Amino acid sequence: MRLIWKLLRKHISLFELGIFFIANLIGMVVILAGVQVYTDLRPLVSGENALVGNDYVVISKPVKRVNSKAVFSPEEIEELKAQPFTLRLGEFTPAQYQVYGGININGQALSTLMFFEAIPNEFMDVKSKEWKFKPSKNKIPIVIPRNYLNLYNFGFSQTSDMLPQITESMMKDIELELKLSGDGNSQTFTGKVVGFSDRLNTILVPYDFITWSNKRFAKNEQVDISRLIIEVVNPSDPALLSYFKEHGYVPEEKPAESSKALFLLRVGVGVIIFIGLVFSLLSLIILTLSIYLLLQKNIEKLENLRLIGYTTSAVARPYNVIAVVLSVSIMILSVWIISRMRLLYIDYLAESTGREIHGTMALTIVCGLALMVGIIIFNIGIIRRKIVEISRKR
Amino acid sequence: MNTIKLKGVVPEIFASNKELRSEVWLSDVEFEQGKRYLIKADSGTGKSSLLSYIYGQRGDYRGDILFNDQNILTLSSHDWCMIRQSMLSILFQDLKLFGELTALENVEIKNRLTKTQPTRIIKGWFEELGIADKLKTRADHLSYGQQQRVALIRALCQPFNFLLLDEPISHLDDRNSEVMRDIIIREATRQGAGIIATSIGKHMDMEYNKILSL
Repeated sequence: MRLIWKLLRKHISLFELGIFFIANLIGMVVILAGVQVYTDLRPLVSGENALVGNDYVVISKPVKRVNSKAVFSPEEIEELKAQPFTLRLGEFTPAQYQVYGGININGQALSTLMFFEAIPNEFMDVKSKEWKFKPSKNKIPIVIPRNYLNLYNFGFSQTSDMLPQITESMMKDIELELKLSGDGNSQTFTGKVVGFSDRLNTILVPYDFITWSNKRFAKNEQVDISRLIIEVVNPSDPALLSYFKEHGYVPEEKPAESSKALFLLRVGVGVIIFIGLVFSLLSLIILTLSIYLLLQKNIEKLENLRLIGYTTSAVARPYNVIAVVLSVSIMILSVWIISRMRLLYIDYLAESTGREIHGTMALTIVCGLALMVGIIIFNIGIIRRKIVEISRKR
Repeated sequence: MNTIKLKGVVPEIFASNKELRSEVWLSDVEFEQGKRYLIKADSGTGKSSLLSYIYGQRGDYRGDILFNDQNILTLSSHDWCMIRQSMLSILFQDLKLFGELTALENVEIKNRLTKTQPTRIIKGWFEELGIADKLKTRADHLSYGQQQRVALIRALCQPFNFLLLDEPISHLDDRNSEVMRDIIIREATRQGAGIIATSIGKHMDMEYNKILSL
C-alpha cells in the first residue's frame, strides 16, 4: 500500500482538490442550512399552536333564494374527497335546535339567539385541554372567531360607556348561560370560551357535543351540510379554483398571512436547497474531471500495476481513500459551520416570536450523512469505472 | 496450469499474409509445464505480440489460446489477476519498471502482493547479478542492463507454472547472462515450471526441449 501510494500520489493536484473541497463545502453548507432553517421555522408555521396555519379552504354554496337551503349532497362531498387537490375533508355539522345564549358584563345582561357548529378535531386550529364534552358535566367549551371579539371591542364597546373593552383572557373567564331547546326537550348549560380561531369563521363546539345534542334536541337524523373545510396542498392551485367555479362553490376569504407564510418558507427553502445542489453538482463535476485527469496522467503506472497482478480495487484504493477523506471532512466541517450559524439566529428567533425553538440538528446531520454517502459512492463508482476502462484498453 | 495451447493463432495484421512461413503462427503448438522452449524470430515477426497474447495483455489475434483447456478469452479481469500473481510470470521486453521507485522497491511492489520470496533471497539475487549496490537507486537512474536484471528478480517473486522471457539478455554481457540463466534454471526447476523464451539473435545458453522459429 505504501509503495502504491508512493507511485500514484504523483500528479495529485492540491489546487484541483482544493477547488473541489471549497465548492463542495459551500454546496453542502448551503443545502444543510436550508434543511436546518426549515426544521427550525416549520414548527412556527404549521402544526400545533402554529403562528400561522396549514392550507385550509372553507367552501360553501351561495344562497340563491329565500326558503331554499344551500347544502352539499353526499355525492358532491364524495366527489370533492376524490379530487387530487384534497388532502382531507371535514364537514361543518350545525346544531339542529335552538340556542339562546346570555352573558352578564358589569350588570349589563346581553342575550341573543345563537347557533353552534362543529368540525372534526383534526381541523381545529385551536388546541385546548378543555376541548371536550361530557354529558354529565353540563359544560360546553366554545371557540369563537377572533374577529368576533374585535367586533365587540371596537364596535359595541365603543358605542356604550357601560360595555368595557375586554381582552382574550378576560373573555375566557366569562361564563355564558346557554339554553338549548328542541324536540320537546330543554336544558341549560354553562358555556365557556376556551379559544379564538383565525381560520374558522363560526361558533364552534366539540364534535362530540354536536352529535350528542343533535340526538337529544332534534328529531331530524339527516343533517344538512352547508359548509366544508378542505386541507389542500396549495390553496391557489388553478385546478382547485376552476373546480370550485365550475361547481358554484364559494371559498371563504381566509387570513392571508397563514398560507402565504408557509408558501414563502417552502419556496425560500426550496431555492436555498436548489442553489446548494447546484454547487454540489458543480463540485462533483470538478472532482470527476480532476480524478479523470489524475488517472489519465498515471495511466501507464496503472496499466503496469494491473499487469504485475494488482486487482482493480487495490489500484483504486489510494484514490478511494482521497475521496473518502475529503467527503468525510467536508461533512464534519459543514455540520460544524451550521451549528455555529444556528447560534446566530436561534436567540433572535426565540425572542421575536416569544417561543422556544425546539428544533434539533438531527435532520441536518442525517441529510449531511446521506449526501456524504452519496458523494462517496459516486466517487468510488467513477474511479472504478475509469480504471476498468484503462485495463480493458489493450 | 499444465499446458498452454495455441490453435491457429495469428496476429490480425498477418492474417491476410498468404506467404507466412512459421512454426507457430497458424499452427497447433503446445507448451508443457516443466519444459523449456525457445522461440527464434527475426525482428518484426511478432514475438512480443505472441507473449502479450499469452499474458492477456493484448487481444488482437485470430485463433484460440487455451490454458489447459480453457479459452483465455473467457477469463475475467479477476481471473487474470490471480493468474498473474500465481501461475504466469513475465519478463517484459520493455521491462515495465516504475522509474520513481528504487530497484528494491520495484521488486517489493510485486513480492508484497504475492508474499513469495524472503528478503534474504532477493538480496542474494541482487548480489549474484552484481547490482547489490543499486538496491536504493531509483530505477530510472539505472542502465538498461541493470534494469533488465531488476525486472528479472521481480519476475521471480511469485509462484509460476510458466515463465515468459521476452529477449531476457538483450542488454547483458556473457557473464551476466550466465548468472541470469543459472538463477532462472534454479528457480524454474524448484517450481517445476516451464520456460518460454524469445530471442532475435543472442539467446540464453541452456538446454531447450524445443526450438521454434516464428
